[in-house]
Amino acid sequence: MTRDRLILLVEDNDDDVQLTLRAFEASHIVTRIIVARNGEEALDYLFATGAHAGRDPLATPELILLDLKLPRIDGLEVLRRIRGDARTRRLPVIVLTSSKEELDVARSYDLGANSFVHKSVDFSQFIRAAHELGTYWLVLNQPPPAAG
Amino acid sequence: MSALVLIVDDSLTVRMNLADAFSEAGFEAMPCATAAEARDALARMSVDVLVLDVLLPDGDGIELLREVRLSPAGSRIVVLMLSSEAEVKDRVRAMRSGADEYVGKPYDVTYVVEKARELVRVRQLANDDGRSRILIVDDSVTFREELRAALEREGHTVLVATSGEEGLRVAARHRPNAIVVDGILPGIDGATVIRHVRLDAALRGTPCLLLTASDDLGAELRALDAGADAFVRKDDNLDVVIAKVAAVLRRAVTPKSEAVSVLGPRKILAVDDSPTYLQAIAGTLREEGYDVVLARSGEEALELLAVETVDCILLDLLMPGLGGKETCRRIKAAPIVRDVPLIMLTSLEERSAMLEGLAIGADDYIPKSSEFEVLKARVRAQIRRKQFEDQSRRVREELHLKEMEASQFRAAQELATTRAALIEELEYKNHELEAFSYSVSHDLRAPLRSIDGFSQILLTDHSDQLDAQGQDYLRRVRAASQRMAELIDDLLELSRVGRAELLLQRVDLSALAHNVIADVRRLDMGRTADFVVREGLVVDADRHLMRIVLENLLGNAWKFTSKIADARIEVGAMSLPNGNAYFIRDNGAGFSMPHANKLFQPFQRLHSVAEFPGTGIGLATTQRIISRHGGRVWAEGAVDHGATIFFALSRAAAVHP
Repeated sequence: MTRDRLILLVEDNDDDVQLTLRAFEASHIVTRIIVARNGEEALDYLFATGAHAGRDPLATPELILLDLKLPRIDGLEVLRRIRGDARTRRLPVIVLTSSKEELDVARSYDLGANSFVHKSVDFSQFIRAAHELGTYWLVLNQPPPAAG
Repeated sequence: MSALVLIVDDSLTVRMNLADAFSEAGFEAMPCATAAEARDALARMSVDVLVLDVLLPDGDGIELLREVRLSPAGSRIVVLMLSSEAEVKDRVRAMRSGADEYVGKPYDVTYVVEKARELVRVRQLANDDGRSRILIVDDSVTFREELRAALEREGHTVLVATSGEEGLRVAARHRPNAIVVDGILPGIDGATVIRHVRLDAALRGTPCLLLTASDDLGAELRALDAGADAFVRKDDNLDVVIAKVAAVLRRAVTPKSEAVSVLGPRKILAVDDSPTYLQAIAGTLREEGYDVVLARSGEEALELLAVETVDCILLDLLMPGLGGKETCRRIKAAPIVRDVPLIMLTSLEERSAMLEGLAIGADDYIPKSSEFEVLKARVRAQIRRKQFEDQSRRVREELHLKEMEASQFRAAQELATTRAALIEELEYKNHELEAFSYSVSHDLRAPLRSIDGFSQILLTDHSDQLDAQGQDYLRRVRAASQRMAELIDDLLELSRVGRAELLLQRVDLSALAHNVIADVRRLDMGRTADFVVREGLVVDADRHLMRIVLENLLGNAWKFTSKIADARIEVGAMSLPNGNAYFIRDNGAGFSMPHANKLFQPFQRLHSVAEFPGTGIGLATTQRIISRHGGRVWAEGAVDHGATIFFALSRAAAVHP
């Protein structure tokens, strides 16, 4: 079975969106990246509500890249809701943020993040990180069975 | 359980008389006729009071007293010596051997019992058994009994009185640990009872709780005015009363055990060279309920006063030896005894003699020819005057004490308020600093990422549109943004180590150094350097912070030896007078000693970034960590001859292998 390799990127900073898309583009692993500009949009997409009403909610992305600092509903709250819903609670979520604050790392893991990755200022390093993330989570890692 | 009193006297009359009186007063009395019997009883039973005659058929009472005092349990036994009047030396010897009281024969039985009770109570205060005696003064049977039951359930011993007057008598006799008194009583009211308690040297420290009716608005004020420690409304839940009693008991200061109640028995010292006159005075005064101590000379009187306290002194003016005048002068020159009322007795009915007596400090003067009724009245008056004086002095002291307490309280309160404000401000600032660091951590890096990222994209995707110089500029933009990211990281760390909580534990510094060295080597696998780590270095410190210290110091050593062919980096320790100092030594670029103090200031660099990269914050962070451990950091070095950074953790005692 071929994998869909769809990533949901939750990121409000347009520069970061561009750079992340670019970094994953370079790695040639990801098929598609859906961008949500804030927490609400991310949840709408995942649960097929609001602007995404009508989408098949069972067609979940294989990986979620989640920024912490988001307008309105912040990243940690998005994570809490993902883990709180049977349809999404097994989805791999990677917190991808500028922060190195221990508190952020701890809270993310407490709420069930699968991984915490610091966005390096050095873009070359970020490209390497994107490649490794893609390889690990979308190729090597066995995804969770579809939620029923 | 009632106290056991052992009565040791060879006279059956004395034994029976005292045994009856003690039994009536609630003691358990056990008469013994000889010292041997007494020794036997003392060995078998736990005796509380020993009434001991000086002259026993089979030995000396004072010898027995000494034995008792030397035995393990003997120090807590109250000992009253009984003896005929003549032997002043016996009296002095007994007091010096540890008697609590010396009563002359013929004795006043009430006095003996009251004195014993008083002394037992004082002794009990000293060996507090954890149970508190609470006195309830209330004329309402219902409330009294409810409160008594509740207090007894709490493990207190409860005494009751139905009027203020009775309450004061019970208090004087039993010295309760706290008094709960109703505000409204048939005779003197509750506030008056408390006021009396506060004026009595022996009772003044007793916590008092005033019960008031709920509709009495001024009650609290009056209660506090009278000196109550707390007041409770009678319609409050009983639990409230119990809780307040517990609270005042906790706060209570143990009353001075030496203080004697104003309502307690009085002792008078009569000094005269005429035995006849002495016996006559003694008889008269004993009828009045006084205990009378007799001395036949000024010398004897002074000797007695050195070991015993009395309430009044009757002193004959004309005596052989020291004489009344000189005795009076010496008494009035002694620190504590001088306050005891002294009445001069003389047969000379002359104005000059009277004036002379008063001039040297006597408080009153009585011609010997006066009727005994006059003498008794004068003695009473003097004792009362002394009492009033004591009371007013106490009131003054109390006022003074209260003022001091109030000002101390105000000062403490101000201090607490200031401290609270400072802490609040500090917390606020810390909180602000944390919020600041947090947003720096999140928001300051994001634009840098854009600068670096898009510069690189320009270099890779659009290099054909840029000449070599343009490309060089873009590389400089990238280098600058990455350097700024490093600065942000280092500044955040510097700020974090200043705030982080210290978690002191035993840290194997040598093992930690090996760990950090492995990380440092990974930075440039192509390089070789000789690392020498002294094994077994152990410190009490915060492991996480010590790792940062080693990362900084070993990172620096690695960096500054990068241009040396045979780099050598050493981790070691040396002994100082107050413990160990640890050091990281390298043979790299070094520095010039006059600049040594600049090393530890943030952003101070002794080399250009092109020579050696870095932010200049690492050593500032190191210093902050070491000083948070109460330690010190310093550096030694020479240009091109390497550097050594030392640190000592004086608070965390260094342990040597």
